[in-house]
Amino acid sequence: MEISLLGTEILLATLGFLALVTGLLPGRAKSITGSMSLAGLLLILVYTIAHFGEEASLFQGIYLVDNFAAYFKMLFLTATLLVSLGAGRYLERFENKKSEFYSLMVFATLGMVIMASAGDFITLYVGLELMTVSFYILTAFLLRDGLSTEAGLKYLVLGAASSAILLFGISLVMAYTGTTVIGATAARLMTEPAVVAGIVLLAAGFAFKISVIPFHMWTPDIYQGAPTPVTNYLSVASKAAAFAAMVRVFMVAVDAAPGLTLSWNLILAILAALTIIVGNLIALVQEDIKRLLAYSSIAQAGYILAGLAAANAYGLKGVLFYALLYVFCNTGAFIIATAVEVDSGSTAIEAFRGLSKRSPALAAIMTICLLSLAGIPPLAGFVGKFYLFAGAIQQGYLWLALIGLIMSMVSVYYYLNVSRVMYIEKAGKQEPVKGSGAFRLALWVCALAAIFLGCYPAPLSNLAQQAIQLFL
Amino acid sequence: MIGLSHYLIFSTVLFGIGIFGMLSRRNAIAVLMSVELMLNAVNVNFVAINRFVTSGQAAGQLFSIFVIVVAAAEVSVGLALIISIYRHRKSVDLNNFDLLKW
Amino acid sequence: MSTAAANLQLQDAVFVMIAIVTTGAALGVVFLRNIVHNALCLVLTFLGVAAVYFQLNAGFIGLVQILVYAGAISVLIIFAIMLVMDKEINQTNLPIPSLGRRIAGVYITALLVITLVLAIYFTAWPLATGAGAPFDAVGMLAELMLGDYVIAFEAAAVLLLVAVVGAVILAKGVEKQ
Repeated sequence: MEISLLGTEILLATLGFLALVTGLLPGRAKSITGSMSLAGLLLILVYTIAHFGEEASLFQGIYLVDNFAAYFKMLFLTATLLVSLGAGRYLERFENKKSEFYSLMVFATLGMVIMASAGDFITLYVGLELMTVSFYILTAFLLRDGLSTEAGLKYLVLGAASSAILLFGISLVMAYTGTTVIGATAARLMTEPAVVAGIVLLAAGFAFKISVIPFHMWTPDIYQGAPTPVTNYLSVASKAAAFAAMVRVFMVAVDAAPGLTLSWNLILAILAALTIIVGNLIALVQEDIKRLLAYSSIAQAGYILAGLAAANAYGLKGVLFYALLYVFCNTGAFIIATAVEVDSGSTAIEAFRGLSKRSPALAAIMTICLLSLAGIPPLAGFVGKFYLFAGAIQQGYLWLALIGLIMSMVSVYYYLNVSRVMYIEKAGKQEPVKGSGAFRLALWVCALAAIFLGCYPAPLSNLAQQAIQLFL
Repeated sequence: MIGLSHYLIFSTVLFGIGIFGMLSRRNAIAVLMSVELMLNAVNVNFVAINRFVTSGQAAGQLFSIFVIVVAAAEVSVGLALIISIYRHRKSVDLNNFDLLKW
Repeated sequence: MSTAAANLQLQDAVFVMIAIVTTGAALGVVFLRNIVHNALCLVLTFLGVAAVYFQLNAGFIGLVQILVYAGAISVLIIFAIMLVMDKEINQTNLPIPSLGRRIAGVYITALLVITLVLAIYFTAWPLATGAGAPFDAVGMLAELMLGDYVIAFEAAAVLLLVAVVGAVILAKGVEKQ
């Protein structure tokens, strides 16, 4: 076995340990943790991109190195980098725990990477838990803020319960097939009551992790209580990781099972429709930017789920494409929300008043990111939604595509409401919102990606096509 | 003759009791205990699978060991969180130990 | 032959007894109002589950269950209860959940359990051909952990580190300014 196949994982683990150790350095020396983590993440991202295209099945299918996993690894690393860059002055709220913050972020990324590559349920479960346990701690990181610790506990309880549901589903499937390897499951699955029950529980467990309606209860409270950069990271990366695992499990084990006749597509399509409708409708009445983005992220997960429900080339390509552009657009919006929160001390949408006068660039980028999330052409969100809905129509779910379209138009209202506050209402303060160089870099990357991927989607779309080839 | 399905039914009942506790309790520690019940139920499944289905292999037992490891990690973080919340709330307002409302 | 059959019946009877005791203890965890009683019932449940493992010829897992669950996790939970307990135990008692919450809980739980039990009962398990001979699970577990499942093993090691770091950060709290 070539050790380089596991390069991303090994380097991430090393970086996480290094970040912990440098945090113990005396005095000002420990401030290198931040720049070291960022440089390390960038290096690992370059390494992962350079190794795209490698295919290997390690330990008899228990760990898979393929394009699908590599695509998601790039996505997670991009998200970690952007979030860490964009956190900026918010990090000062973590006081002397900055190095632990970086280290936990890196370990959470490691968990996601393992999830995306896992070829059996045990590895998948351990990767998932590595990610979520890191997130429980990160969510509670503002120890002076009662809301943050309480959000951490809520997340822990619901996360553990949803893992238990997922595990119960896995155990029923395993009791029937006698194997934990996802690839070996399909051939042995039959249409039996316990198998169907197991798959439904599996779907419910994943639905918790991507906060699909009606399993979304945890999302708004936790998103509001968590430190804003953590909320950002939760909403883009942990969802993408759960989607990566879910796509692999459902495409490899369930969709490909010859003996199983179960309209799992329809179940997921109904869940997706519910999620899109309810998420968008509740987002309409939110007055807090973090809660607004939380409900909007529920709705966005619904769009992505529609692609998985379609389970064809367009739909799956849409899942991958959308997941990445969602990283850029949502992170852009969150980074600005973080900066405004640091500036004004408030997370209300009111705090954005007159931002166009104070910092025109920030207001413009916020508008671009939000419009892209709403799916307005020529921004990236439009292309992503086009793939997702085209896949749904091809699968015969015209109604799902229509619901998606209508609710996208509804979503324009609440996204533009933020722009209205920024451009039309008068500001209390006049001086611009402060931000470091790293913060500006992250913002420009997000904004340019949202525009570039919208005007010229071919390269990323080809990459996504290569990544899903193994499921078709 | 007791077989696989009896063990699975026993664990389903245990799992259901855990779910009921999750849904009906309003206290953080009580909810955490209910979650532990659910995880124990899952482990019974895996060990029973190891005995009746994958006889001669140890994949089921391996799975249950990982579940135990993760559960221990989760409980330690969870109880640290409870203590942290309690410390924070004590000074503000806490007549009843009733942290987690939902 | 008859002694073997009697032995089997004895084993079945033992399982039924363990199952009844464990289920009763689990009900105690959920229904008793005093949180200390809940915790004690939880310990009993853990021990009952360990007995099930022994009965399933999984002695090693049974020992791990006793050490980790009945030992460590129970102690942690009881410690947490003691740390956050009010002076009067009655004030620490749990409020009776509202009627609506209980009805919803009973409804969802009953639906789930009945569906699952029926599904399990009416499934022909193709691979469950009866109990195989006991085997050396510990040696196999070691080989699997450091062989095929080494990535999960290493990830679990990192997970434990994360949990320790997190627990220290959270429990230590912030320094007063």
